Amino acid sequence: MPKKFNPSFVEKVLTSFIKEELSKFHFRKGILGLSGGLDSSVCAFLAAKALKPENVWGLIMPYGQLFKKDVKDAQTVGHHLGIQLKVIDISPMVDAYFSQHPTQDKLLKGNKMARERMSILYDFSARENALVLGTSNKSELLVGYGTLYGDMACSINPLGDLYKSQIRELASHLGVPEKIRKKNPTAGLWSGQTDEKELGLSYDEMDEILFHLVDKRRPAKDVVWMGFNKDHVEKIIRMIKKSEFKRKLPPIPKLSNRTVGHDFLYPYDWDK
Amino acid sequence: MKVALAQISPSLGDLENNVDRHIYFIRKAKKNKADLLVFPELSLTGYTLQDLVEETALNPHQSSLFDRLKTESQGLSLVFGFVEEKEKGIFYNSAAFLENGKILHIHRKVFPPTFGMFEEKKFFGEGKNFHSFPTPLGKAGMMICRDFLHYGASYLLFAGGAEIIIVLSAAPGRGFDSREGFASSEMWELMGQTISRFSTSFLFYCNRVGFEDGKSFAGGSFIYNPGGELLVKAPYAQENFLLREVNLQEIRRYRKKNPFKREDKPSLILQQLQRITNAKEV
Repeated sequence: MPKKFNPSFVEKVLTSFIKEELSKFHFRKGILGLSGGLDSSVCAFLAAKALKPENVWGLIMPYGQLFKKDVKDAQTVGHHLGIQLKVIDISPMVDAYFSQHPTQDKLLKGNKMARERMSILYDFSARENALVLGTSNKSELLVGYGTLYGDMACSINPLGDLYKSQIRELASHLGVPEKIRKKNPTAGLWSGQTDEKELGLSYDEMDEILFHLVDKRRPAKDVVWMGFNKDHVEKIIRMIKKSEFKRKLPPIPKLSNRTVGHDFLYPYDWDK
Repeated sequence: MKVALAQISPSLGDLENNVDRHIYFIRKAKKNKADLLVFPELSLTGYTLQDLVEETALNPHQSSLFDRLKTESQGLSLVFGFVEEKEKGIFYNSAAFLENGKILHIHRKVFPPTFGMFEEKKFFGEGKNFHSFPTPLGKAGMMICRDFLHYGASYLLFAGGAEIIIVLSAAPGRGFDSREGFASSEMWELMGQTISRFSTSFLFYCNRVGFEDGKSFAGGSFIYNPGGELLVKAPYAQENFLLREVNLQEIRRYRKKNPFKREDKPSLILQQLQRITNAKEV
């Protein structure tokens, strides 16, 4: 079980991270997509603390009328924090594409929407001179539950080392409204979707299994021996393996003596 | 004696800027009448250098930046970290002890960690010595970060007569639980308490703060007296300039009370180490 943690210290680390990274890259403002869910709300709370609310942009990007309640929740968070808000309906762009290339595949549609949102975020990042803050948590990153170059795209990711259940704990410390904390997590790929239904297990169970496998480096058989469901443990390991490509830059075939991604080795914070 | 620990966040790869910041803190330390000012590991360059190592490397005897620091250090003892190009193309993670404008000693990190998140041996050579050297403040010895977690290193300084142990660190925080600060800070504090107490020496540990590529350096610099008592600790994960008056007479007092030094048996330990390292068996 992920141990209890000191939320004030985590808040201090994450807000200093946001502040310091932005100043290194000479940005004053941060921008993020607000879905009305837990992760983006927590990220918005942290950003507002780190950068002051007027320097945070929250883009709400629903598909038509599909997620009306979530739009309202996102607006509530935005108004509560006093950050800049903008609602952009992505249905005209997404529909234009699918009218040319129709599909019934919900996943294709969902991925397209996630990438449409990314494209708008980066456009506004350039318009507003604001750095894109990511909202992918450790649970999602490890099992690859995210759209590559969609919701996973960002410049810095303050939440990437916190499991979903830890984010929920941090949220309560930050004062994120209970309604949002108690929400059933959804990637918003289609109406009625929930992460836990799609993943086939609860975040609480998944986080515990991930914690033992990843943080504690326990072999699968030990985790099963501890009493976790064997099928679930194996499924999680399969998901981790299958999604390593989402956590890496694409490999480049090495030809020269010095190659990007092989032996051209510089820090992300180069000259910052 | 007054000690200052500069718990700073160096700019990654920006030597000029870092030298300026060193000078700022040197002047501040002097204004506060500090006798010794300690900076963290690689304080002139930042830590996550990778291929920037060669671009930031200095030869202490042929560097105008070093000369500036030598000039500024007139009137106090100054300890800082830098990338040393000892011979052409061979780089070390080093620490310099400057005294009254002169280089008194240079320590090269003996245990550059290369596992998990660390990759120092890809870029740095390994030092070969732990010297205790005389200073106007007493006999001192230096270690750089992971050196300090290999307790044999502290023993060598102790056996060499060190009364003041200085540790320069760039320790990334890891592990978070219910305490304030990173869980990994406890490891350094435990070592600080243990080594100061059982080597009956002062222990000055200066760790850096700030972020590099998402790594958060944990801060929490500290001073232990020769009785293993924590005199002062800087806050975790934020910049700090720590000033503390310490009484060097305490070395004598504790060595009389706890005669670990008097009763030490370095030749026996050497013989035993020789036996162990010569042993053929696995």
